Amino acid sequence: MISASNPNSMMSSSSTTGNNNAAGSGQQAPGLKTYFKTPEGRYKLKYEKSHPAGLLHYAHGKSVTQVTLAHLKDKPVHALSSSSSSIGISSGVKSAAAKFLGGGNGSRALSFVGGNGGSKSSSGTTKVGSLSSSYTNSYTPNSNFDGKGTYLIFNVGDAIFISDLNSQDKDPIKSINFSTSNPISHAFDPDAKDGHDLLIGLNSGDVYSVSLRQQLQDGGKKLVGAQHYNKDGCVNNTRCTSIAWVPNGDGTFIVAHADGNMYNKDGSGDPSFPVIKDQNQFSVSHARYSKNPIARWHICQGSINSIAFSSDGAYIAIVGRDGYLRVFDFKTEQLICGGKSYYGALLCCTWSTDGKYILTGGEDDLVQVWSMEERKIVAWGEGHSSWVSGVAFDSYWSAPNSDGTSENVVYRFGSVGQDTQVLLWDLEMEELVVPMRRAPGGSPTMSTGSQSAHWDHAWPPGTLRPAPSMRDVPKLSPLVVHRVHTDPLSGLIFTQESVLTVCREGHIKIWARPTSSTEPNSDSSLSATTLKEKPKLGYRQ
Amino acid sequence: MGAAGSKLEKALGDQFPEGERYFGLENFGNTCYCNSVLQALYFCVPFREQLLEYYSSNKSFADAEENLLTCLADLFTQITSQKKKTGVIAPKRFVQRLKKQNEIFRSYMHQDAHEFLNYLLNELVDILEKESRAAKSDPESCSSSEQIPNGIKTSHINGHVREPLITWVHKNFQGILTNETRCLRCETVTARDETFLDLSLDIEQNTSITSCLKNFSSTETLNAEDKFFCDKCCSLQEAQKRMKIKKPPQILVIHLKRFKYIEQLGRYKKLSYRVVFPLELKLSNTVEDTDAEYSLFAVVVHVGSGPNHGHYVSLVKSHNHWLFFDDENVEMIDESAVQTFFGSAQEYSSNTDHGYILFYERVDVGTTS
Repeated sequence: MISASNPNSMMSSSSTTGNNNAAGSGQQAPGLKTYFKTPEGRYKLKYEKSHPAGLLHYAHGKSVTQVTLAHLKDKPVHALSSSSSSIGISSGVKSAAAKFLGGGNGSRALSFVGGNGGSKSSSGTTKVGSLSSSYTNSYTPNSNFDGKGTYLIFNVGDAIFISDLNSQDKDPIKSINFSTSNPISHAFDPDAKDGHDLLIGLNSGDVYSVSLRQQLQDGGKKLVGAQHYNKDGCVNNTRCTSIAWVPNGDGTFIVAHADGNMYNKDGSGDPSFPVIKDQNQFSVSHARYSKNPIARWHICQGSINSIAFSSDGAYIAIVGRDGYLRVFDFKTEQLICGGKSYYGALLCCTWSTDGKYILTGGEDDLVQVWSMEERKIVAWGEGHSSWVSGVAFDSYWSAPNSDGTSENVVYRFGSVGQDTQVLLWDLEMEELVVPMRRAPGGSPTMSTGSQSAHWDHAWPPGTLRPAPSMRDVPKLSPLVVHRVHTDPLSGLIFTQESVLTVCREGHIKIWARPTSSTEPNSDSSLSATTLKEKPKLGYRQ
Repeated sequence: MGAAGSKLEKALGDQFPEGERYFGLENFGNTCYCNSVLQALYFCVPFREQLLEYYSSNKSFADAEENLLTCLADLFTQITSQKKKTGVIAPKRFVQRLKKQNEIFRSYMHQDAHEFLNYLLNELVDILEKESRAAKSDPESCSSSEQIPNGIKTSHINGHVREPLITWVHKNFQGILTNETRCLRCETVTARDETFLDLSLDIEQNTSITSCLKNFSSTETLNAEDKFFCDKCCSLQEAQKRMKIKKPPQILVIHLKRFKYIEQLGRYKKLSYRVVFPLELKLSNTVEDTDAEYSLFAVVVHVGSGPNHGHYVSLVKSHNHWLFFDDENVEMIDESAVQTFFGSAQEYSSNTDHGYILFYERVDVGTTS
């Protein structure tokens, strides 16, 4: 027996047709459906991505797989003559950097160049962390590694794998092995000025920045042309738990560590920072002489588990072991607001594209919706039967009936958990006005106590809220509950065409959004099609 | 053993907690079930302190008769009074007494740690009640059981007729469940209270303790063969039943039912399911107004693939350090290592070390309100 079935899974579809449509369906575990139903139609398993079995080295222990989506644009014009060398920065990247810098010394000095070096504003897309950097549908099914395209970068064991998102191939097109330590976190910025667009953080605390294209061009299994930061953990030797490019940050990035410190990095070089006196106290130290990292933020006691920038880069949300969500103004380094989970650590966080809401998930099995306007938790999503390990807003989705005349007050988001399930939710703010959405008798709600009034009271800015009581927070129920893997899940990404789910062991499933051809009754799908026709969407074909 | 001890001391360095002792326990042939539970109880600080306090204040007449309580107190005293900070102790008297007293534990077979914990706590309660009854005329002797939390049974305590005594063991471990049954015909709710020293939870693959607790108190419908006799209707009726926690215990002991009888096989099987447990927990399905908040301080781990063989070890949190106790061996571990004892997501896995009994301690209320 694989698992006792969860009562919630009744909500997912019960038919088993269409099993053969999925690539790699040979490994389908019994009881795993290849599609799930939503009000707008069926999401179908399009294909899977994985890593070659048996080739993994767990010399440094297992680590949880994370996925970064990377869209590689056209090659820089001068970069064609790249003969990749295994040491140093390749000529392709060098020349790209030189273009901006006017012949500087590689990427080292780049960090202090003024803010208008690149053509950042050319792409109108949002850059929420590394997740939504997917562009329009000009994909080239790649056969060589030189082309532009969309890639999945994921870590398993001591390796980083790169897969082509739009190819049917289950196996990755590239693997990079790390002999010293496991890669844990990664981030991609398509507009990174010096061509070093991919960041990789290791369990040892080491951080590399590389050119993704250069890795794809290289035939070997080693990282090429890497800039090495925090070498051998000389600044911080704890696990690099999360890494992010600063949006419009001129090549600066943030590295979060397992000891509650966060570093704002720039060029290279490793200064020393004063010893933290009070582990519980937030503090920021700046490096003298603009060395690298340029600042250390001590956030909390215990690990930082996830960081996420708001799409405009003004704010950074940080969650960690102590269960607090903290939102900082990135420029002024001030704590804006934040609060405690119901209980236990928070494991993941993300922003809505408009910057109004933050989702977090954690060890209390809840998906929290934090409102930046109200500076408090406005809803708890109840539906996971284990820890929530990944959350994401579906920025490509818009509510049916929303024709652009009224404000879009419905947000679609997804969450994945260690219960092996993906859940989809609709957040309608008007629905949440009622304090208790739950049917009376569903839970012991003998409230009207003074505690809730106290909790609702305006909280002074710059302070952290305590955990709310169970009855004080409106509850959301999931729209869809679908069991995806036999292993606990670790993340999800929405793209224009699909939803990606990944499990801890490094298996990725790509679920195609509903289209007219995949509608259950495709002959008479006219109504369904019109329902989905929204100005900003436009599916392929 | 000396080397291991000094290694731990080196690892802790000047962070070695003042007055604390970390001693491994010798194994007398399959007594790891006992050692692992004893370590968890030793590092249950309120329990340890109250046991030692009770023992020192009652020493004069406890000498007369040896029982499990005196043997346990002796053992704990022996550990706390060690000159060295680390080392190994042989819990010889305690194990001998245990084997003498209960034939289940007499054999050299693999024993169930939960069964042992349950037996031990009930035995301690019995001994305390017996002593208290014997010394009823002397009011000073039951000083440790005079303060009754939350006033339950306060009105009866002076009547001392049939009401069970609330001993310091109760005060640490006892909680009260209320079993609410609602007759679907007349809508009458019948509530029946029962006390517990630990909660045994059914587990499912890839779930959390939170979810198992939720299932534990979820509503269940009694129908068909399993109807409920409603006193008001005077007949068997369909009913809805649910368990709520009326009084959350100070120390919440959660037993994961990993050993399940499989009818088709005609034997017990170990469920290696991955069940995650957070370092902090709240009981929300309580009758009380506030959510009871807990912090994990010990885990008894079963190592092995089957129910009839294997090994027990324990993880213990002491002064914000996590320690790993494996009979004689004591090691310091990182907090994140606790995660490696959740279980396996796949049925056949090389990982056979699974959290089996969880010990949570109630955190002072008042942080939320």
